[in-house]
Amino acid sequence: MKKSATLKISISGARGIVGDSLTPQLAATLAQAFGTYVGGGPVLIGRDARASGIMLSEAVIAGLLAVGCRPIDVGILPIPSFLFLTKATKSAGGIAVTASHNPKPWNGLKFISRDGLYLTPQQTEEYLDIYHQGAFDFIPPEKYKSVQVLEDAGEAHLRRLLSRFDTAAVRRRKFRIALDCNNGAGAPLAPRFLRELGCEVIPLYCEPNGEFAHDPEPTAENIPDVCAAVKSARADIGFVQDADADRLAVVDEKGRPIGEELTLVLAARHVLNKTKGSVVCNLSSTRALDDIAAARGVKLFRTKIGEINVVEKLLSVKPKAVIGGEGNGGVIDPEIHPCRDSFAAMGLILEALAAHRGPVSSLVRSLPRYCLLKDRIEGSAERAHRLIALLKKRYEKAGTVNLLDGLKVEFPDHWIHVRPSNTEPIIRVLCEARTEAGARKVLEALKTEISACLKKI
Amino acid sequence: MLKIGISGVRGIVGTSMTPTLVMDFASAFGAYLDRKPVVLGRDTRLHGPMLRSACVSALLSSGCDVIDLGVCPTPIIQKTIRRFKAGGGLAITAGHNDIQWNALTFLGPDGASLNPFQGQEVLDHYHLGSFDKAKTDDLGRLSTPAADEFVGPYFKELAAFVDAAAIRAARFKVIVDACSGAAAPFLSRFAESIGLDLIPINNEPNGFFPHDPEPRPRNAAQTVSVLKAIGAEAGFLFSSDAGRVSLVSETAEALSEEFTFPLIAKAILGRRPGPVVTTYSTSRMIEDVAWAYECPLIRTRVGPAHVFLAVGQEEAVLAGEGSGAVAVPAFQSAFDAFLSTALVLETMARTGKRLSALVGELPRYHIVKEKVYCPTSRIHGVLGGLAKSFQGRDIDTGDGLRAEDKGGWVQVRTSGTEPMLRIISEDKSKARARAKVDKILQAIELMI
Repeated sequence: MKKSATLKISISGARGIVGDSLTPQLAATLAQAFGTYVGGGPVLIGRDARASGIMLSEAVIAGLLAVGCRPIDVGILPIPSFLFLTKATKSAGGIAVTASHNPKPWNGLKFISRDGLYLTPQQTEEYLDIYHQGAFDFIPPEKYKSVQVLEDAGEAHLRRLLSRFDTAAVRRRKFRIALDCNNGAGAPLAPRFLRELGCEVIPLYCEPNGEFAHDPEPTAENIPDVCAAVKSARADIGFVQDADADRLAVVDEKGRPIGEELTLVLAARHVLNKTKGSVVCNLSSTRALDDIAAARGVKLFRTKIGEINVVEKLLSVKPKAVIGGEGNGGVIDPEIHPCRDSFAAMGLILEALAAHRGPVSSLVRSLPRYCLLKDRIEGSAERAHRLIALLKKRYEKAGTVNLLDGLKVEFPDHWIHVRPSNTEPIIRVLCEARTEAGARKVLEALKTEISACLKKI
Repeated sequence: MLKIGISGVRGIVGTSMTPTLVMDFASAFGAYLDRKPVVLGRDTRLHGPMLRSACVSALLSSGCDVIDLGVCPTPIIQKTIRRFKAGGGLAITAGHNDIQWNALTFLGPDGASLNPFQGQEVLDHYHLGSFDKAKTDDLGRLSTPAADEFVGPYFKELAAFVDAAAIRAARFKVIVDACSGAAAPFLSRFAESIGLDLIPINNEPNGFFPHDPEPRPRNAAQTVSVLKAIGAEAGFLFSSDAGRVSLVSETAEALSEEFTFPLIAKAILGRRPGPVVTTYSTSRMIEDVAWAYECPLIRTRVGPAHVFLAVGQEEAVLAGEGSGAVAVPAFQSAFDAFLSTALVLETMARTGKRLSALVGELPRYHIVKEKVYCPTSRIHGVLGGLAKSFQGRDIDTGDGLRAEDKGGWVQVRTSGTEPMLRIISEDKSKARARAKVDKILQAIELMI
C-alpha cells in the first residue's frame, strides 16, 4: 500500500504532523509567502487550543516580520471570532494555526483574506506561486515592524453577537445549558457568551488545552458525556462545539442528540421567520431545508462541498441570502460574518427556543422529518471519478442528476449522493429518505451496487 | 552578509539573516542541547523580535523548554542560565555591530560561550541538518519570567561581589550611555544596587542606536559633552549587549577602550593574583600589569570561545580584550559591562584617586587600528603574501600574523564578523606604530 502523505498544502491551507512534516521552517516559509502576497501591513495570527499552537505561531510571526508585516497576535481564539476580527480590524489578512477536527498530532495553517474569508482557490494559487518560487519580499533591517499582542481578542465578536440577538428575551428564560467545548478553541469564549445571555452554564471540557476529551467530530456517537450531563443537571439544552468552534451539535432536554444535520435547519427556520431572503447550503445538506424555504416562498441555492463555496454563493445570490451553512452543524449567519459560526448558531437556536416557549424536543418535532445516512467506502479519487461516470449512466433516466460535485440523484421521496472526499482517499456515500428504514434500504442497495461497480473498475 | 562560526552566526538581516536560517541554527543548538531547557534574551534591535520568534519556535520544536527573558543584557542572560539551571542559552545580539546586523550567540550551562569543540558540535548539526523534531506531546514549553526573578538577583549578586559599601560611601556621580541597547531599561536598578548618582543617556530601548554601538572614543561625543556640562566623576559607554565598556574621565577625556582591561586588572590582581587570559590583539599594557603582579599572561585567538576555553584550562582569575571586554571568572565567565563599571568605581573609591590619575599610572603605548576590505575568497592569498614581507621576524600565527619587535608588535587578522582584514600595531612611539600599519596597508593594496 502507498504511504499516505503527512503533509497537505492545498486550497484549504497547509496541514501536517508536528514532529514530522510540519516544521517551524515550513510554517515560516508559508508565512513569508503569505506576507509577500498581501503586501505587508497588519496580519492577524491566532490559534486553536492545540499544544503545538505556540510553536507554530512563533514561526509564523518570524516569517511575517521578515517580509514587513505587522503581526497582531490574538492568541487562542475560535475560528469564527478570528475571521470576524480580521475584517473588523481592517487587517491585510490573517493566518490561523489550526487543524480543526484532525487528530492531536496534526496542526496546520489557514490563510485568510482581508475580508475575513478563507482564500479562494484562485487566490490560493497566486499565493502558492510565491511559495513555490521562493520569491519573498524580505525587508531591510531598518524597516522592521513590531509585534502587537491583542488581549481579550474575542470581545469584538462577542459584542457583535450580543447586539444581533434579542438578548432580553433569552435572558428572561434563564436557560440551563450543558456546554461541551472539548477543550478546544471555543473554551475561553463560549461560557462567557452564554452567561452574558443570562444562561446558567454546566461546563464540560472547557479548558483550552487542546487535550480532546472525545473524538472532535461532534456526531451523536462522540458526545455521550454532554447527553448525560443534560439529564443529570436537568438542563434545557446541550451544546457541543467542534475543536475550532465553527460547528455545533445540539442535545435536547431529554439528553438526546438531535443530529448535527438539524442544527442548520433549526437556525434557518428561525431566521426565515424573522427575515425573508435566500438560503444557501451544500449539495449534501438535508431536504428539510428545501421544505422550510418553500413554505416561506424563498429560494434555496446548493453548492459544491466546502465552506468557501457556500460562502461565495451566499455573498453573490439574489435575493440576498439571510442564512446559509452545511449539514455538519455549520451555520452561517451573514448578519454577523459570512463564515460557519457555532456562536451564531447557539444565539439563533436560543432565540428560537425563547420564542417557542416549549422544550427543544417539541421545537425539533415541528421540523420536516427526514433521515440522512452517511457512509464511506475506501477508494482513491481516481477510482471515485470512474465510479461516478458508471453510476451516472445507470441513473440518468431514473431521477434528476446533478454533477456539480460527484453524483447526486434526486427522487421524489429520497436522494443519493456519491463523491470523492477532498481530504482522504475515500468515497463518501450519502442518502436521505423520509424514514430511517427507507434510508437504510436505499443505502444498502446503493453500497451493494457500488461494490459491484468497483470490481469492474 | 553572513558569518558562521563556532560562537554562533552573525549577519545582515533581510538578505542573509532570514527566519529559516535562524531556525536552522536554533534547531542545531536544540539538537545539541538534547531537550534541556534554554534561556533566551535579546538586545533592542528592531529585528530582534523576528529572531526571537524564530528561535522560540525552533527550540520548542526541538523539545527544549524556552525561558524567554525578553530584552536583556547578555551578562544577565549568562548569570540567569546558571540561576535557572538551564542546559544553555541563546543571546540574540550583534553587540558592537551596527544596527543592520544581528547574531545568535550560543551559551553553555555555565553561562560562558560554547568552547570551540562544543561550538563545532552545533555546527555539525547545522551542516548535517540533523534536527530533533519533537512530537506534539514532547514539544518544549515557553515561559516568560518577570524581571524580579532574574534582574533583581543579578544586581544583588553583583553588589555582594564588589565592595559596594565603599562605592556607596563615595557617592559617585556618573554618566552611563546605554546606546539605547539592552542595558537601557535596567540602569536605575544598577545605580540602586551600588549607590550611584547615575545620569543615564541614550536609555530609550527603542531599537535605534544614537551612535555606533562600539564603545570607543569616537562614539563618546555625547557622553563627553554631557559630562562637560554637568560634571561627573566618570562616564561609561556600553555596547548594545552590555558586554563591553569604555571610559570617559572626569576631565572629559574619552579614553581608549584599551584602558578598561588593564585598569580592572590592577584592582583584581592586587587582591587575587593568578593567570590572565587575553587575545593576540590586546595592548601591551596588560603585559606590564600582569608582570608587575607576577601573574602569567596567556594569549589566545580573538573571540569568546577561545578566550573562555583558556580561562577554564588555565584557571584564570581574569580575562579581557582590548575592546573593553572584561570578565572576572569568580563572578562569571562572561564579559560584563556592569561588573567592569563597578570594579572601576571600586578602585576609585578604595584608592581615593580620580579616574584620570588612575589611567595616568598605566604604561602608555600608542596603538593604531585599521581595517581594510578584503573579499573572503582573497584572504588566504593576501595573508600568504604578507607572511613573506614579515620575513626574518618571529611570526606568531595563532590568529592571523603577529610579529613582535623591540618597541612593540603588529598584527594582521581576519575580522570575526565582517569580510575585513584588521591591522593593529602598538608601539612606544606613535610614529613607528603608524608606519608599521601603513606599510602593511600598502602591501595589501598592491595585492588586491
